Amino acid sequence: MKKVVVAACLAAVVAVLATAAWGSTGGASKVASASNADTALVKCGKTRSIGLMAPFTGPAASIGINQVHWANFYKTNYNKTHKSKIKFVNEDTQLGSANGTAEAVKGAQALGSNSAVLGVVGPAGSNEVKATTGALKGAGLGWVSGSATNTQITLDGTRKGFFFRTVPPDSSQSKSVSGYITATLKVKRVYIIDDQEAYSTGLADEVQAQLKAKGVTVGRDGVSQQQSDFTSLINKIPRNTQLVYLPWQLPPKGQAFGQQMKSQGRAGTKLMGSDGLFDPLFAGLGNNVYDSFFPVNPSDKRVAAFKAIHKGTELFGAPSYVAAQVVTGAIDRACKNGTASRAEVRAQIKKTNISVAASLLGLPVAFNKNGDMVKKPFGIYHSVKGVFVRVA
Amino acid sequence: MNWSLFFGELVSGLTLGSIYALIALGYTMVYGILKLLNFAHGDVYMVGAFVGFFVLQWLGGALSPAVTGWLVVAIMFAVAMLACGLLGVGIERFAYRPLRNAPRIAPLISALGVSIFLQNSALLLWGPQFRSYDTFDLVGVKSYHIGNNFFISNIQILTIAVSIGLTIALALVVSRTRTGKAMRATSFDRDAAEMMGISIDRVISFTFFLGSALAAAGGVMFGLVFGQIFSLMGFTAGLKGFTAAVVGGIGSIPGAVLGGFLIGLTEAFATGYLPGGSVYANLYVFALLIGMFLIRPSGLLGSPVIQKV
Repeated sequence: MKKVVVAACLAAVVAVLATAAWGSTGGASKVASASNADTALVKCGKTRSIGLMAPFTGPAASIGINQVHWANFYKTNYNKTHKSKIKFVNEDTQLGSANGTAEAVKGAQALGSNSAVLGVVGPAGSNEVKATTGALKGAGLGWVSGSATNTQITLDGTRKGFFFRTVPPDSSQSKSVSGYITATLKVKRVYIIDDQEAYSTGLADEVQAQLKAKGVTVGRDGVSQQQSDFTSLINKIPRNTQLVYLPWQLPPKGQAFGQQMKSQGRAGTKLMGSDGLFDPLFAGLGNNVYDSFFPVNPSDKRVAAFKAIHKGTELFGAPSYVAAQVVTGAIDRACKNGTASRAEVRAQIKKTNISVAASLLGLPVAFNKNGDMVKKPFGIYHSVKGVFVRVA
Repeated sequence: MNWSLFFGELVSGLTLGSIYALIALGYTMVYGILKLLNFAHGDVYMVGAFVGFFVLQWLGGALSPAVTGWLVVAIMFAVAMLACGLLGVGIERFAYRPLRNAPRIAPLISALGVSIFLQNSALLLWGPQFRSYDTFDLVGVKSYHIGNNFFISNIQILTIAVSIGLTIALALVVSRTRTGKAMRATSFDRDAAEMMGISIDRVISFTFFLGSALAAAGGVMFGLVFGQIFSLMGFTAGLKGFTAAVVGGIGSIPGAVLGGFLIGLTEAFATGYLPGGSVYANLYVFALLIGMFLIRPSGLLGSPVIQKV
């Protein structure tokens, strides 16, 4: 009897394994079909699906949610005025979390295997763009980021024809930053601290080189994104330093650094952040805080409408509105005959041409062959009573 | 010699070391009594930081506290220590006590399981985002300086003072009270202590209560000094606390404190003086652990274990 029970159990295990194996074969065919997704035609229907990758949660959630709000604001406006509708398939990338870019990659894979998704808005970080390239490109998806600014991600050729962005690259940001530091603030001693991520080190390198070329004394150090204790590092910063430049992505870290600077008796030192720190958390540190940020037209009626809904002044996510506009426009054009492939959507993203009037950025949106915007200025902002005000 | 940098790193190291010392005390006490490495201890520290944060919110938040800022801080410490003390007792009761007579690997695995359970529960309940203590708004951080080189803030003074005060209180409990005597007896010979009428279960529960309460105090201190807390903060801090306990000599209370300060100072001075120190400070900290194992396996104040052969 015992042998019979054992045999029955074994048979059950084998059956389960066989079922699992059969299921995985089915999965493989799905993967295979995903690799053909580039040219596979999807019936557009009334509602079109767009992937939305952003840090919904995690250390960068404060800026991520702002991006999501802006993208959803576009969706609401579009759905009100068009017969066809769009919907977002959300993927949380948890930018800056201890898992690194793993969540972003998982999200990209999920979007790639979802045959209804025709294009993607996001992800937010340059490292995430690099990490998700395999999954998104492999699935034939075109993707448009509203915040990844690392100069090399469009120049290295890896993502050509697939990746686009509605923000200027760091080469443009670094020029604005170094120019403002030397010409307007007339600072002679600067300390730069990167956060060891591709975005941060790239921008820090460029600003450092440009400041040195202008005769500024520059110190340089780095921190991990996981670090919260900056006191030992702050001790290293020479007391005569006039400005600390933080090209970071996580506003809570920028806030903690500023608070620890104050508690170390360094309240008088100016702080300058990059676009990743364009957030009330960083602005709230006081009037000695500066930041560089994407071009956004603050007098656009949509900015006022957004502020009325979300009761805030955050513009960080505005380029994500434009990214959603780019992807939706491309899908609309590709769907003219009722079907579209991901390759067709990519081709249409390349042809994007949004006029100044229709663009929230205050400049026309069109892409060069690398996926960068043809026009790409950066603005400099100063914190006045906890709110960033454009000064250059 | 840049004295400003030297004194700055000294204060940073002592502040950080105060927190590590409180975590290390929990490790060392539990190991002393149960010979168990409680790997969930770092996560109890994280829970303590979050309890402190929620108490702060409950009392009106940093901007508009219902009572004075310093009283809010005192209540945060008290509630976090009580809550985590009870959490520690619960962990011991349900995860370790049933395995007390099992092979030693079983409670160790159980400890790792509890650690992951707490981490993921925190992620589920509170999310992965950072929470800000807003200490500046709560108590108004002030920086004091002696001459041009020595700077220290009121929060750093508080952290070091609270850590030393709690350590002295613990030493008094262990050396001057009946419960402390029972703890020492249990640590020395559990079976003999039981035969002498000591309630081993009660002593072990009390040890977990004390250790977890101290870890919670460390968590609240971290939030006050560094401003921010997050769900996965317990892992690295727990490892550093464990390292401190081992470096000081696991099982030794003064050793845990000494180890904590040593690890904190190593981290701070490595950041200040060694190449790439601000990014790779942990490299130097754990190199210290390996070095200590090679030179003095029983730690600075630990005594070598003599085994009857």
